[in-house]
Amino acid sequence: MNNSILVVVLASAVTYGTPLAFAALGELLTERSGVLNLGVEGMMLVGAVMGFWAVQHVPGSGPFALCVAVAVAALAGGTMALIHSFLVITLRANQIVSGLALTIFAGAGGLSSYLGGVLNLADAPARHQFNAFLPAGLRHAQIVGPILFDQTALVYVSWVFVALAMLYLTRTRLGLNVRAVGESPEAADAMGINVTAYRYAHTIAGGALAGIGGAAFSLAITPQWVDGLTEGAGWIAIALVIFAFWRPGLCLLGAYFFGAFAGLPFTLQSRGVTIVPELFQALPYVMTVLALVLVSSAGARRHLGAPSALGIPHVREER
Amino acid sequence: MPAVSLRGITKRFPGAVANDDVDFDAAEGEVHALLGENGAGKSTLSNILTGLYRPDEGEIRLYGEPVEFRSPRDALDAGICMVHQHFRLVPTFTVAENVLLGDHRDEGRRFFVRPRNIERRVAELGERYDIAVDPRARVWQLSLGEQQRVEILKALYREARILILDEPTAVLTPQESESLFATMRTMAAEGRTVIFISHKLHEVQAVADRVTVLRGGKTVATLDAAGTTPHSLAALMVGREVNLARPEAGATAELGPPVLELDDVWAVADRGGDAVRGVTLVVHSGEIVAVAGVAGNGQRELAETVTGMRPPARGTIVVGARALRGGDPREAIRAGVAHVPEDRLHTGVAPSLSIGSNVVLKAYRERHLGRGPLLHSAAVRHQAKKLILRFDVKAAGPHVPARQLSGGNLQKVVLGREFSGNPRVLVAASPTRGLDVAATEAVHRYLREGAAEGMGILLIGEDLDEILALADRIVVMYEGELVGEIDAATATAADVGLLMAGGTPA
Amino acid sequence: MSFPLRIERRLQQPRWLSVAVPLVSVVVAFGAMTVLLLATGHSPGHTFGRLFHSAFVGRSSLNATFVAATPLAFTGLCAAVAFRMNLFNIGGEGQLYAGAITGAGTALLLHGAPGPVAIFGMIVAGAAGGAAFALVPGLLRAFLSTNEIIVSLMLNYVAGLVLTYLIFDSRSYWRDTSSPDALVFPQGKTLPDASSWPTAHIGLIVPLGFLVAVVIAVLVHVLYTRTRFGFEVRVIGDSPRAARYAGMRTRRKIIAVMALSGAIAGIGGASQDGDFRHVLDPRGLTQSGYGYSGIVIAALARYNPFAVCVVAFLLGGLQNAGYTLQGADFPSGLVGVMQGLILFCALGGELLVRYRITVDRRSSRRSPAPAEVAP
Repeated sequence: MNNSILVVVLASAVTYGTPLAFAALGELLTERSGVLNLGVEGMMLVGAVMGFWAVQHVPGSGPFALCVAVAVAALAGGTMALIHSFLVITLRANQIVSGLALTIFAGAGGLSSYLGGVLNLADAPARHQFNAFLPAGLRHAQIVGPILFDQTALVYVSWVFVALAMLYLTRTRLGLNVRAVGESPEAADAMGINVTAYRYAHTIAGGALAGIGGAAFSLAITPQWVDGLTEGAGWIAIALVIFAFWRPGLCLLGAYFFGAFAGLPFTLQSRGVTIVPELFQALPYVMTVLALVLVSSAGARRHLGAPSALGIPHVREER
Repeated sequence: MPAVSLRGITKRFPGAVANDDVDFDAAEGEVHALLGENGAGKSTLSNILTGLYRPDEGEIRLYGEPVEFRSPRDALDAGICMVHQHFRLVPTFTVAENVLLGDHRDEGRRFFVRPRNIERRVAELGERYDIAVDPRARVWQLSLGEQQRVEILKALYREARILILDEPTAVLTPQESESLFATMRTMAAEGRTVIFISHKLHEVQAVADRVTVLRGGKTVATLDAAGTTPHSLAALMVGREVNLARPEAGATAELGPPVLELDDVWAVADRGGDAVRGVTLVVHSGEIVAVAGVAGNGQRELAETVTGMRPPARGTIVVGARALRGGDPREAIRAGVAHVPEDRLHTGVAPSLSIGSNVVLKAYRERHLGRGPLLHSAAVRHQAKKLILRFDVKAAGPHVPARQLSGGNLQKVVLGREFSGNPRVLVAASPTRGLDVAATEAVHRYLREGAAEGMGILLIGEDLDEILALADRIVVMYEGELVGEIDAATATAADVGLLMAGGTPA
Repeated sequence: MSFPLRIERRLQQPRWLSVAVPLVSVVVAFGAMTVLLLATGHSPGHTFGRLFHSAFVGRSSLNATFVAATPLAFTGLCAAVAFRMNLFNIGGEGQLYAGAITGAGTALLLHGAPGPVAIFGMIVAGAAGGAAFALVPGLLRAFLSTNEIIVSLMLNYVAGLVLTYLIFDSRSYWRDTSSPDALVFPQGKTLPDASSWPTAHIGLIVPLGFLVAVVIAVLVHVLYTRTRFGFEVRVIGDSPRAARYAGMRTRRKIIAVMALSGAIAGIGGASQDGDFRHVLDPRGLTQSGYGYSGIVIAALARYNPFAVCVVAFLLGGLQNAGYTLQGADFPSGLVGVMQGLILFCALGGELLVRYRITVDRRSSRRSPAPAEVAP
């Protein structure tokens, strides 16, 4: 039973979907405050490389080193996001160009590669890595075992973060404020909410989460540093946010969905079922475009739509 | 002791004194109307009261204590709330969420948001003041009247002691207005102070206890509403020396054939509802017809409908002999409709492009400006230079970006451009808004010349001086309809002002 | 926020500033890079020297730089053409792939035809492929107001997957199925010799693609500055409201500009086939990121077509040098970092060009700017 295609696919969906979930959650927070960040890929890679470096050099036990590594990854991602924030919020630069610049700066062929080389990180596998840690009985349980229990701590942390994000956005004062900032910065400003501060905070937080997503690669999935490790996961995360209509819960499900689609063809192939992998891999992108068209149609815009002020710099008085 | 007391308030801006030694009092438990034309200083005064502006001179006292507001927050904390004409609501939020957003005290300070509590309170307040709204409804789903109720609920939730409502009935139906008045009276009966800014005279009579009239930045009078009549109020609002300065029109000039015929034209407003209701109007060649009215009564939408920027919902528009489909600016332009828009900088020109480019903004397709797909910049420059010369535009040359021009010079460019197509009809919306005296005179002169050359001019605006000075015929627009037609030769400012404010002439 | 600094829009943008700011950006970027190199134990002088040498010194360096610069010029022009009208086409990447596919397909179809025919066919096909692909976001934007940024981004991935599919997972026309080896190690059919694009030998070896890009730059310049079409584009880009007021057909422009933008990238794809690779090469194309670099180049060049060619050349040099010098003793990732830094500084400098920062001395009064215009 646990070896059936379905179970295997779902289990790997959760595993591979986790970095997507972190990064998408981060981008979701950023976009909710009205800022578009196309630099997610770069932030993930910098998080991955710095997290890896930390785990190679931090003394102490496995769990301790891993925690520090994740924190370092978050810090790295957040720092990259700080650059983006400064450029687009304070200096009112074009958000698209700034995000792309960040990807080029930090991504494959950029800072992450540079650090990987300079710190000699490609030499050895990770000293510690995240492994499945729940008791064997649970992990081997019928069906749910491999899918839910045979996963690393990062997976469970992602669930907690998603739940916190849901709570934050719908039930707290701060969450209400940030939603106002993303929808209608003028109204928020008039209500005395500091639009700039909220945007900075959420963009940096988004970068931090992207960094953790990157660390999920270098510390769990392929516990090694390889240049360009994330292979476009950052871009998928951006698509994911739209696909999930900017809701954290759907983000998690979407991440697993995309994760499944990525892994499915190969699983099938190994069972002798030949299908065109590219078709499956393209499907999420096509579906995102469809979702976007749906979201853009005037009527649906309000119901399902993007934060209305997404991508537009907030200027209090502009001639 | 009055609740609010303003003494000697003066506020200056570059080029104008918005409030000139204004005194204003409002008592507890009173509904006090603040009346005046646009530009009289009402919004400035209310912005001072709500902490957005600081007065250059004068003093504010609340309940006898002098206060100083350094920011809108201070005013809010002092219990002053304003319901603006343009609502400060987040459309995708629910009513309860919007109410919560504005709250800086108690419930609002908690970390966790408990919508239930707020919803309950909002429902209670709605019941008590007869402004019930479903607290769970999303704002975009609500009608304008309901949205306004949300704004009022925000103020009541915050336990405002002094409420200012800015032209609240602009977006309401007559029934909704009645309901609003009842709410205002209830609030006043509880000891709150309600200040109600308006230009509609019958409303003042319907709900106010006292009225203060502002004119030209000064307080003209403060009266008990009971003793006033619409006529007396209109006279106070408008009664200054109106310099008609009409050139003696020899004999009544022969009217040419009709160039613009509107028949039962209706148009929908941006936010829903009808902005233009069954307007029927004819403009003849050589005639200047003015559509007078206070902003917000549909004139902008009328101008947009005639010029093709807004599709008519019903009715016909005929220019020359040609019926227009409507909704297509190019069609209107081709038919000979020229348009001097209200917002000259953001609609009438491309601000970063040069004067030259803007001069040919509509004419760039013409053969004399280029061959085939090409546009000859020399020809464009030449045309621009001609215009600059003819209309005496003060600019270094045709290469200057439009946004660098002063208001008057920019308007000359726009006018010159619109004239250059030899249009049949010119729709001019508030053409001298924000211009100094010299520029205003120049614009008036060009308009008269245009009419003399056979153009039919539809002048839309609210500046009575201008309307009386230029128009041959005056129609008044009120709440989307044309409510009166006056021959300019015999019109008085008071008559027109009365119509504009919704009254009926004797 | 009550900073004493006020940022207000400049009334005029002095010319010298438009040139000075990018230059200063480059200098500042170099400065930051110097710091980074020192911090990680490399000698800045040595590193920069080697970079410069590999990029621009000597014939072979320059030739290699042209090779690197050619695709960048195309994607840079693609982005510039669209961004000038505030159409954010970031699908240059995918449009290039589409052009590569149609270009290679045409070259294969025209097997046996003489050189000029094959080459002309490739250019036309490349343009058509890129334009058609760009019409997806274009039409969606024109008719449904769908955000073209995300749509074009998503389509980049779809295009990449189609490209991979054609060579790696199918027996398509493009794939080399001639030998048993070829079936195990997938690769594309080699394009006929006649379809190899010639090079100009003027002391240096300049690929035809680069010359085509320069010609396109000239045409785009003429189009945007001297034609009615270009006039409309400028007006729409500056003020869509004024454009509508003037009776301009905005929708048609959006479609036309997107198609043009995609066509240019598509020709870039055909150039990759004809000038350099002589085969449809998914791996090579997808790993190079030409499209994204193109956007960066367009932004640095402030969307001026001639500047795009120059910046493409410079950045091509940087990329070429980075590639050539790759190895144990040269920091990898340097190119990306440098490019990123230059762009950051340019973006920041952009603010100075558009806005002016003044110190607000009236901090005791609270008079926001709208008050400056009399009510």
